[in-house]
Amino acid sequence: MKVPVSWLNEYVDVADLSVKELSDKLTFAGIEVEGVETVGALLDDNFVVGEVVACERHPNADRLSVCRVSDGAEEWQVVCGAPNVRSGLKVAFAKIGAVVPEGGFVIKRAKLRGVESFGMICSARELQLSEDHEGIMELDGALVAGTLLREVLPAPETVFDLEITWNRSDCLSIIGVAREFAAVLKRELRLPSVDFSEAGEPASSFAKVVVEDTVGCPRYTARILQGIKDRPSPAWMSRRLELCGVRSLGLTVDVTNYVMLECGQPLHAFDYTTLAERTIVVRRARQGEELTTIDGEVRRLDTDMVVIADAVRATAIAGVMGGEATEVTGTTSNVLLESATFAAPSIKATATKLGMRSESSHRFERTVDGELADWGSRRAAALLVELGGATAAPGVIDIDNRKAKSTTVALRFKRARDVIGVELGDDAMVEILERLGFVVTERDGVRGVFKVPSWRCDIELEADLIEEVARMHGLDAIPERAPVAVVSSDNDEPFRARAKCRATLTSLGFTEAMHYSFLSAAELDAFDKRSGAGRLVLPNPVSADYAVMRDSLLPQMVGTLGRNASRQVMSCALFEMGRVFGNSSGHPWEEERVALGILGAVGRGKLDLRRPVKNDEAVLWLRGALEALAVKLHAGRVELRGCEHPAMEKGWAFEIVIDGKMTGVMGAISGALRHQWRLTAPMVVAELQAEVLLANSFARGVLQDVPTFPAVRRDVAFLISESVTHEAIVGCIKKVAPQELTGVEIFDMFNLVESGVVLRSVGYALEFRSTSRTLTDNEVNKAIEKVMQALKDELKVVIRDK
Amino acid sequence: MTLAELEQSYGESMAAVRDATDATALDQVRVRYVGRNGLIPALVKQMKDVPAADRPAFGKRLQTWRAELEELLEARKGEVAAPVASGPVFDATLPGQWSVPGVEHPVTQVIAEVARIFGKLGFTVADGPDVETRFNNFTALNTAAHHPSMDAADTFWFDDDLLLRTQTSPVQVRVMTAHKPPVRIITPGRCYRRDTTDATHSANFHQTEGLYVDTRPVSLADLKSTLAYFAREMMGSKVGVRFRPHFFPFTEPSVEVDFSCHICGGSGCRVCKQSGWIEIAGAGMVDPRVYRFVGYDPEEVYGYAFGMGVERIAMIKYGIKDIRHLYENDVRFLSQFG
Ligand SMILES: [Zn+2]
Repeated sequence: MKVPVSWLNEYVDVADLSVKELSDKLTFAGIEVEGVETVGALLDDNFVVGEVVACERHPNADRLSVCRVSDGAEEWQVVCGAPNVRSGLKVAFAKIGAVVPEGGFVIKRAKLRGVESFGMICSARELQLSEDHEGIMELDGALVAGTLLREVLPAPETVFDLEITWNRSDCLSIIGVAREFAAVLKRELRLPSVDFSEAGEPASSFAKVVVEDTVGCPRYTARILQGIKDRPSPAWMSRRLELCGVRSLGLTVDVTNYVMLECGQPLHAFDYTTLAERTIVVRRARQGEELTTIDGEVRRLDTDMVVIADAVRATAIAGVMGGEATEVTGTTSNVLLESATFAAPSIKATATKLGMRSESSHRFERTVDGELADWGSRRAAALLVELGGATAAPGVIDIDNRKAKSTTVALRFKRARDVIGVELGDDAMVEILERLGFVVTERDGVRGVFKVPSWRCDIELEADLIEEVARMHGLDAIPERAPVAVVSSDNDEPFRARAKCRATLTSLGFTEAMHYSFLSAAELDAFDKRSGAGRLVLPNPVSADYAVMRDSLLPQMVGTLGRNASRQVMSCALFEMGRVFGNSSGHPWEEERVALGILGAVGRGKLDLRRPVKNDEAVLWLRGALEALAVKLHAGRVELRGCEHPAMEKGWAFEIVIDGKMTGVMGAISGALRHQWRLTAPMVVAELQAEVLLANSFARGVLQDVPTFPAVRRDVAFLISESVTHEAIVGCIKKVAPQELTGVEIFDMFNLVESGVVLRSVGYALEFRSTSRTLTDNEVNKAIEKVMQALKDELKVVIRDK
Repeated sequence: MTLAELEQSYGESMAAVRDATDATALDQVRVRYVGRNGLIPALVKQMKDVPAADRPAFGKRLQTWRAELEELLEARKGEVAAPVASGPVFDATLPGQWSVPGVEHPVTQVIAEVARIFGKLGFTVADGPDVETRFNNFTALNTAAHHPSMDAADTFWFDDDLLLRTQTSPVQVRVMTAHKPPVRIITPGRCYRRDTTDATHSANFHQTEGLYVDTRPVSLADLKSTLAYFAREMMGSKVGVRFRPHFFPFTEPSVEVDFSCHICGGSGCRVCKQSGWIEIAGAGMVDPRVYRFVGYDPEEVYGYAFGMGVERIAMIKYGIKDIRHLYENDVRFLSQFG
């Protein structure tokens, strides 16, 4: 909201304060200063009223004119580019040496397209008077050339742009802000006069007002003003409107806008003669009823909306915008002046539904003081009588259905001190509240009861009074002490488990990625269409790119790996911990997942990065990371079981089973998906349910004794069919080995072709150890023999020659 | 040779090994003492000439001599420069061969830091779902139906009741509904607003709120003291806080919290837009109406709440100029937060 300081100064003395001081006072009263603007500039003697004595087309440029401008003493040849320059015009003339406020350049003798120019004719923007740069300023023809411009133009103005919080609707006016200043500065608030003379028949004889919806419209007042001469508004009024960003449109409309800006009461003037049967009905709109608003738009209304109607049709959308058919025009001389109170929720709903926002709805949505309806109406009537020569019909039609007209709230002084944390005496609190317009109705040593001023619609509870006291006493006065720790026994293990998971993954070389929770249906489909029906879709997304809640972390993980690859990142390992969402027959669900993804030779040493990475290598790297994670989080054994996945290469998709539970999916991304990044190297990803992974993060096993007896290690190496798995080999060994077998580790594996048959050569290191004695060679040899025999019998291995 | 002479030869041999400066010299010493025709094997052969009484001591000494000498020879082998022709040279300037650790996302790092700092003051971390109810996200937080934050245009609604939480305050509602005071929690988490994404806005972002409710008086001064401590821990020991009055539906009194600029120390710079202060958080004393919604008696309890944007703190703390960098996941960006 724009607040010109000069206007503010009319109601409270603030002219002696600097912009910075005013700004700080507002800020610490709770009104945010969004900006401070200076309109107009101090003009020196080089700026004078000029008269265009002659004006001709520039010989070499169509758009330029060559003028002779008189500065009262001399005539100057000036080249001007404005379309509206013409002979006889009084203009704002900047002489040689003038510094133009907008841009700060100095006017010098210049040659424009071959014609000499001695000065400049200014636009309003060049003088920082407005944004208008359509043409040069056209000054009052009665001004005398040579008069200093600063004597005829308005003085520079400081205009604050304020952000008023939602609760402080009373500050959506110049008087509201002035009232706040008066309280902060302990100065007097001066209100303008609302007295005017009345004549003729009483207002009630001119119109009938019926309020059908007393909830939507708690108060409706109407005044009748006749014989208005709708001349242009006086300069001071249009200037103020302009400083507040409102266009001047003729006296009647200007007065309604002016009074709204001044006191916060939105007003509407109907052309009295257009109202059918001279009747005003405040009612709900009929379903589908149409109304053309003053902006020329046809609005379709519904029964939730409150309208102002005459005897036959809706004439205005209550509190939002008036209708074209009954609006005041240049020829209107008789008006019905509406000054009403509309309920905030209703106006808010209507304005939202129609997608309309007006200065009026902005105020009503935030609640307008019901007392203001009459004051605002009087103020406007007084101005129309004074400035427009109107005749005001005596009295007012006032349909007042407000429930509580005043509230009282009690403040316990000790409670206030406790909540604010300052030692503030009872009297000081009472004084603060009185300054803000509260009236003490009862008081003892414990509490005070205060009547809330009508404009403070936001004050309902003791806490609201405490806020007023804290704010006016000054938040800077609240002391800072050493903070006090208060120990609570709440369980934060879930948070620490996540932190542990992240720490493990980063130590394993994975960097954390973070993606939006929503993405496009197309991205999800490209990854896995199977889940389509169970997705949670956003009915009102910001764009189609973010229309569906993710049901997997993997599509974005794949995209991010690919994007990084296309930015010449040779290798990366990423993880994300985040939620996925779904919709199971109308019930949304969400679940936390952990995703991992690798690209490039992340599992190799730096001296071996260029050798192409194969799927088996990459899958085992990621499996290794999963195993390490499972160890660290005590999650249990990791198993992979072959499965099918539309986004993964055939034969390279796996279910992840942890501790016997299906926990996620893993695999090498298909060539079709990688193609968009022109990626030929494998990209391997995995996704797990966090719940399974994190469930035992802080579990502790039983501590085992450190072995006292030495271990005996033996290697066995053999050839075996490719189709026999590592798991089967280990199972076979464990089955026949004595309980002293404490470890089986594969240490070597390669394929060789023997007479056209692919055989796999593998080596296993077996470790034997007893907890009670030193094992003899003989014992171990026997065990190894047994193992070898079992491998030969069951898995048909061929023992490799040493 | 007498025992004394033996000791002298021992000393000479050890010195010769120590003094050898290259592999060749070292090898010559080895040949001289322990080679096939070296001194020690020769002395072993001469054992029979040693007086019988001395023989055990002599023999034992020869053994230890040989052992010590060989040990020293072995140790020195690594020290003396090997001849160029004898094998590849080790290049210690090669990069180390160990996996490089990854880094946590800056948003995670800020949340962890916030949890650490408030953890020291006894706050624990609480969490709730992203998909929330109207009651938890708005109604119980005293947000009037016609408050601007209820605009459909600003919130992702699934239907009349369910929505993507616009703040982490619903976690406060959940915790208070389930627990009696005292409650002392922070609630880092993901939130959503229908903002068009630009350099400072993101439809998907993180907040962390804090809540302390107790049956003994808790004041604005306690809130200020707690946030001042947080400011110093988070942004540096010279950073201070100030309160400005504000409005939030769920607190009364409500304040906005500024930190003094950690870059310029308050004198004004580009980061703080010349004001010396940076807006960080919203805070206040919990509105009594909120207590009623969660089943607390407003007369019995006192409490404060605060909330701040995680991305905003990350951007201020790390000098990130565009919030979108945080969701682009370019590893060249992320890897700088190690
Ligand atoms: Zn600064």
